[in-house]
Amino acid sequence: MEKLKESAPHKKAKLTSNSGLCLTCAWVSTCTFPKDPEKPVLQCEEFESEEFKPETTLKIVEKYTGEQGELISILEEVQAKYGYLPQRALKIVAERTGRSLVDVYGVATFYRSFSLKPRGKHLVSVCLGTACHVRGAPHVAEEFERQLQINREDTTPDKEFTLTTVNCLGACALGPVVVVDGHYFSNVNTVKVNKIIKKVRDGLDKVEVKTDARIFPIDVNCPRCNHSLMDPSYLIDDYPSIRVTMSFENWHGWIRLTSLYGSFKIESEYKIPMGTVANFFCPHCHAELLGSSNCPDCGTKMVPMIVRNGGMMQICSRRGCTGHRLDTNGVNL
Amino acid sequence: MEKIKSIEDFKLLQEMLIFGRDTNIPTLVISAGTCGQASGANDIIRVAKRELINEGLTDKINLRITGCQGFCQMEPSILVEPDGTFYPRVNINNMKRIIKAIAQGKVLEDLFFVDPETEKPIEKQNDIPFFKNQVRTILSRNEKVDPIRIYNYIENNGYSSLRKVLEKGDRTWIIEEAKTSGLRGRGGAGFPTGLKWEMLANQPNGKGKFLVCNADEGDPGAYMDRSVLEGNPHSIIEGMIIGAYATGANQGVVYVRNEYPLAIKHLTIALRQAHELGLLGENILGTGFSFDIKLVRGAGAFVCGEETALMRSIEGQIGEPHQRPPFPTQKGINGKPTAINNVETWANIPAVIEKGAKDFAKIGTKNSSGTKIFSLVGKVKYTGLVEVPMGITIGEIVNDIGGGSDSNAKIKAVQTGGPSGGCIPAKMFDLPIDYDSLAQAGSIMGSGGMIVMDEHTCMVDVAKYFTNFLKDESCGKCFSCRKGTQRMWEILDDISNGKGTITHLELLDELAQVVKDTTMCGLGQTAPNPVLSTLRYFRDEYVEHINNKRCPAGVCKELITYSINENCTGCQLCIKSCSENAISGKKKERHVIDPAKCIKCGVCKSICKFDAVVVK
Repeated sequence: MEKLKESAPHKKAKLTSNSGLCLTCAWVSTCTFPKDPEKPVLQCEEFESEEFKPETTLKIVEKYTGEQGELISILEEVQAKYGYLPQRALKIVAERTGRSLVDVYGVATFYRSFSLKPRGKHLVSVCLGTACHVRGAPHVAEEFERQLQINREDTTPDKEFTLTTVNCLGACALGPVVVVDGHYFSNVNTVKVNKIIKKVRDGLDKVEVKTDARIFPIDVNCPRCNHSLMDPSYLIDDYPSIRVTMSFENWHGWIRLTSLYGSFKIESEYKIPMGTVANFFCPHCHAELLGSSNCPDCGTKMVPMIVRNGGMMQICSRRGCTGHRLDTNGVNL
Repeated sequence: MEKIKSIEDFKLLQEMLIFGRDTNIPTLVISAGTCGQASGANDIIRVAKRELINEGLTDKINLRITGCQGFCQMEPSILVEPDGTFYPRVNINNMKRIIKAIAQGKVLEDLFFVDPETEKPIEKQNDIPFFKNQVRTILSRNEKVDPIRIYNYIENNGYSSLRKVLEKGDRTWIIEEAKTSGLRGRGGAGFPTGLKWEMLANQPNGKGKFLVCNADEGDPGAYMDRSVLEGNPHSIIEGMIIGAYATGANQGVVYVRNEYPLAIKHLTIALRQAHELGLLGENILGTGFSFDIKLVRGAGAFVCGEETALMRSIEGQIGEPHQRPPFPTQKGINGKPTAINNVETWANIPAVIEKGAKDFAKIGTKNSSGTKIFSLVGKVKYTGLVEVPMGITIGEIVNDIGGGSDSNAKIKAVQTGGPSGGCIPAKMFDLPIDYDSLAQAGSIMGSGGMIVMDEHTCMVDVAKYFTNFLKDESCGKCFSCRKGTQRMWEILDDISNGKGTITHLELLDELAQVVKDTTMCGLGQTAPNPVLSTLRYFRDEYVEHINNKRCPAGVCKELITYSINENCTGCQLCIKSCSENAISGKKKERHVIDPAKCIKCGVCKSICKFDAVVVK
């Protein structure tokens, strides 16, 4: 048997011309945080997106029963919280689930949707599925790289945009497809890239309340006593507000909602912490407004109100959740 | 919602819901799957609700929001029941008119679909060629059902097959029906479902058995499963409960890909509702039979569509496939016997029970019964989801349903089976679609992706694209897959850049065969298919790239040049859009592209209104 040629001794890979970069953003040509190349740090302060508190990760892990199969779900929640998987969070997850850190890193690096690097505020995903590919998706991805002046998987220096690619979103008939923060853009070509970036900077959820045809006022009544819940003396968005009573923990007071379907403004007697689930009551008959449906976004119980001209409006009873249902044909479960 | 405590109570609830329906008023059906929402269906729905409330029509017109109907390019679309009037590409400004017309029992001819062949408007959905030539056993149900309302599903005969099965109380009967129906796995491999269930049922019951729904749908270009998951999640749940009853499984898992957020949302809601009603959980409908389903999300790994890798992923590990035997039915999740079926397979089960196995088997061919949903995408006029009986020819799908090419370019091939499949050239379009005939032609049925390619698609580029995909998605366990896909891609990259030689083709062939023969799992074993099938049918394109350093389709960047022809009016629009300042020319004079500066990004071609940019 032939003697195999001895391979050259493995040289330690030098960090590139941008040496002195932290390992987290080592491939980001825009990182300017000065570091010692002899002592690379795992993540630089320049990209800290949220102050790291161990309790946050602990709370996530505690929600699960401890079955091995739940690791991926735990990591998904941690990533949803921070935008990426911080090393400190992974250490806590490993410790709490009894898995070795190597195991956890193995899972975190095997699956494409996890990122060990901090991400920007807006995640731009260009679909590179087959149908999108034959319609010119690679050109679109390159144009994004040119316009944002970053490579794929990198983040812009102002921490606004992270560019990534995905291998099929399943919207193939509309290809090439680009998703930004859950908003789908279809039939994208190189000319539209600039417009998309501008729209994201302006605000994707921005709505002109006054002129938008999709926003309209509704009049509601209590489903129990049928008394109107409208309060014309207190305007929100220049329309009569909806007044109900609300209680959470030891607080009990009024809450007023905008009657404009599409706006989500509220004003309340007491400040309600985000994420609190409150109880709602009719201010006239004092019955609890409790629906039988669950919020389509977060699963919490909903608050029903009859719409004057027919139909039922239900809003989520969790502060901060915009989940709602407007049924024009009665509540069919 | 109150739990239903017995089969009798379920029957009563169903009768009450059917009786309570008001069939005299028209229903406005708006499809709002992912494609619909991406095209603006949510705005249409909002405005529809506004009109219904403001005009006091809420008790005169029913509103139903559904998932994907399949005619994706025409979304947002509206269907009016019971007449079947179809309004494609609805504009938000027309909603007022449309609702008024529905209330008055009229139709709006100027908003109908127009057949480009005959130039005649067509009123009804079922008369449009795209729909007329399909057999929509599964997809037609998407129209009738609001996916997040379980009562709506029950009202439309939902969970009746489950009721039939529980009333009969005979587990072996279900397996016999599954076998007689000839239903084969719709995930691509085509393994007989009845046989798989029998193998699971024969395993001892004591320690628990799993049923899995593989909703990973990793094939790029395929999204049939997405439409069923979003549009009719209860059909999958019903199928799984029936399967669990037949095989003795007590725990179910639906593994959904992360890239389908709406499918995850709808499934979560559907599972919660089924639970509340007592159709899932302990003592289902008072029969003593217990079964529950958990939702597990994927995290972006194509290989997790392979069943052994899928099971590892459910267990919270990396998705590395394992040797078979032991097969999942012998040793699966956490070592327990497991049967894994595709979404479409599960969705077919209620139909098999409802129709009866013999009637179900009447559609399709002898060895491939039933219908199959394909995602017809690419360079075809009507892209979307089509459900056809097995045995229909490729040409019928591409031309009769798809409407042929979407431009003046001729159709060259279709690619089926995703990255594990191959290309079938246009001259073979009279090939009937079934598991066996496609395999003989060098491709596979796969999950149902059907990508149409025309003369502007470079087959070397297609092979390179798939090989690139596979090399990134390879789990890395087997040397021949890990390195083989890498090397195949490098050779294809060289060929597409004009650096290929004829010996490369021989090497590519040999490499492909080795990878096929020496890899452990399906990903590696089918990875060479895109290369082998393009070499088989389009060798001339490879040779052109190698010998003449030319890309006939005008795709491979290193081998093409952009230039401007005599159509140029000198409007300077391209000059302004070129980021590299590669175009020069005065107003009203023909412009010129500097090939040294041109990066071939394609912006000038997209923006030119006079079709003056030529790519050779």
